[in-house]
Amino acid sequence: MKAFVTRRKRLAGVISVLAITASAIAAVSVTGAQARSGADELKGAGATFPAPLIAAWQQKYEAAKGVKISYNPIGSGGGISAISNKTVDFGASDAPMTPDQFSACGGCVELPWALSATAVMYNLPGLPNNLHITGPILAGIYLGQIKKWNDPKIKAVNKGVNLPSTDITPVYRSDSSGTSFNFTTYLNTVSPKWKSQVGRGTTVNWPAGVGARGSSGVSGVISRTEGAVGYADIAYALKNHLKFFSVQNRAKKFARPGLAGIQAAAQADRKFNPQSNELSIVNPPGSARFAKAYPICTYTYVILRTKSEKANLLKPFVTWALTTGQQYGRPVIFQPIPKYVVARGKATLKKVHQ
Amino acid sequence: MSLAHERVPGPAAFQRRGRIRPGDALLYVVTLAAALSGVVLLALITREVLVEAWPAMQKFGLGFLTTQAWGDHNKTLFGAKSFIYGTAVTSLGALLLATPISLAIALFLSELAPRWIRRIVAPLVELLAAIPSVVLGLWGILVLGPFITGTLGPALHGSFGWLPIFASKPTVGSNMFAAILILTIMIVPIVSSICRELFVGVPQELKDGALALGATRWEVVRGVVFPYARAGIAAALILGLGRAVGEAIAVTQVIGNNVAIHTDLFKPGDTLASRIAGQYQGADTALQVASLVYLAVILLVFSLIANLAAQLIVRRVAGRHQIR
Repeated sequence: MKAFVTRRKRLAGVISVLAITASAIAAVSVTGAQARSGADELKGAGATFPAPLIAAWQQKYEAAKGVKISYNPIGSGGGISAISNKTVDFGASDAPMTPDQFSACGGCVELPWALSATAVMYNLPGLPNNLHITGPILAGIYLGQIKKWNDPKIKAVNKGVNLPSTDITPVYRSDSSGTSFNFTTYLNTVSPKWKSQVGRGTTVNWPAGVGARGSSGVSGVISRTEGAVGYADIAYALKNHLKFFSVQNRAKKFARPGLAGIQAAAQADRKFNPQSNELSIVNPPGSARFAKAYPICTYTYVILRTKSEKANLLKPFVTWALTTGQQYGRPVIFQPIPKYVVARGKATLKKVHQ
Repeated sequence: MSLAHERVPGPAAFQRRGRIRPGDALLYVVTLAAALSGVVLLALITREVLVEAWPAMQKFGLGFLTTQAWGDHNKTLFGAKSFIYGTAVTSLGALLLATPISLAIALFLSELAPRWIRRIVAPLVELLAAIPSVVLGLWGILVLGPFITGTLGPALHGSFGWLPIFASKPTVGSNMFAAILILTIMIVPIVSSICRELFVGVPQELKDGALALGATRWEVVRGVVFPYARAGIAAALILGLGRAVGEAIAVTQVIGNNVAIHTDLFKPGDTLASRIAGQYQGADTALQVASLVYLAVILLVFSLIANLAAQLIVRRVAGRHQIR
């Protein structure tokens, strides 16, 4: 009898433990649901490139409008996946979505909302910042044809610099990256060989060099590899104290990836891609007007679902970002976007509804 | 393994004295559900993977395995050859390095070390397995990579440069050799802790007997401990191999992610798991997604073969041991 009672007690204990666990799980999922439907929060994820700008926006927007913005910089590819899987309210990407990605997303729109530049960084101890480089030389390096720093082609544009015989190690992003898209788009325009052999994309079949994961991986490898070359957004290069090139534009001038260079590159109105709103300002023309232009500039995009539960919060936020928010970009080297881009963004935003 | 041959308790086991014991019934149902959920999950994953990979399987067929490409300029050609090679080289290389180290650690901790050292070192070695792989990968970039380019690489190239695997001096820390070292660090704690348990489990009488016959420590290890634990060691090594084959994040951080086949270990490469981890999110085209999942199919088949091989080895070795 005693044994029976203990057994009953034990069973009761087991059941109560189960009940506690179940209610705990229920409580957690309820709070989770509340957080998801939280009236005053917008969740975003995507490119690392605009992360410094969005960080500035978070503070200003919450202070001004009382709406909390959270942003997870997991990379452009991750942002496209996240908005496609409806786990975020907005996605961000430096690369326009491909037709396949649009159909996978099922009812998404994309619009440019910020403008900056991709810096090409290098690690050569003892040599100054802003060495000169040209597009064809960069293509040659990433094709694996230019292998040494004292190559005559590099020497020719850096007169008076004592370039070493160190091997050049090109570093690229191994994950799906909008910065890669911007960089390979540029190489496409300066090298027919690159265009026919490699092409452009968020991932390509890199013929030479080593890959690293994320901008942090790329800068990690560059800073620890003498002779390395790699690319990331200019804010990242500055923050990590990496040297970066002045790149020759089509007006044959060498330009730095600063606000002036970006502004010059974004001057003339360009045509939007009708589906993705892609707006390419890479390698602008060689006329005197573009003499100061930095040739590897890019718009970066926000992706929204046309049918969004939080349309009433999203639309004011994106409108604010396109207009008032632009002024907060300068400290992190984001140039305010031109008026015609703002207009296009507002027009696209009309397609978003609850 | 041997458990399978014992009598399996059925529902009758908890019907004693004609009365169903509720605690045991509950246990039976809960454990049954857990066991079944594993099977169902495996079936669902396999189905999902096959469905997602189907467009690529249809387009490329088995030629996928022997094609060395990952997205030409049209983004229409994909193949797994270089990743299969990279996976094989890095995981076998890691196993080759990890085996003697793990056995030595296990022997020291079970047979040779004084108890107080054992008590400190054993948990520390196991703690190595608790380091998140992304942290290990970061360490690989920041510390191991420069060490390989600065010290280890030049030394190995200097002494063993005649071997094709050390044919060049490394110019960058991201290479297959770095991946092998990272994987070695990951599998040593697993293999060594299993082996330690095995060695501890060797009956003391056997060892005492051998010692009484005048065997040295090493002869006891070679003649008694190793043969007794042989099946378990083999299983532990296969477990380690499985870990090495499947590791994605740490490898993708240090291997250099290049679609190439080099015999030189100081050159970059890539593995199946690393490629999937790197590019599944935000792949440009539906075909690229399908090709990435095709890589996952290959990985699944790989691990299936490894598991079957492990079971075969264990059964054979255990059988031989019993005959003796």
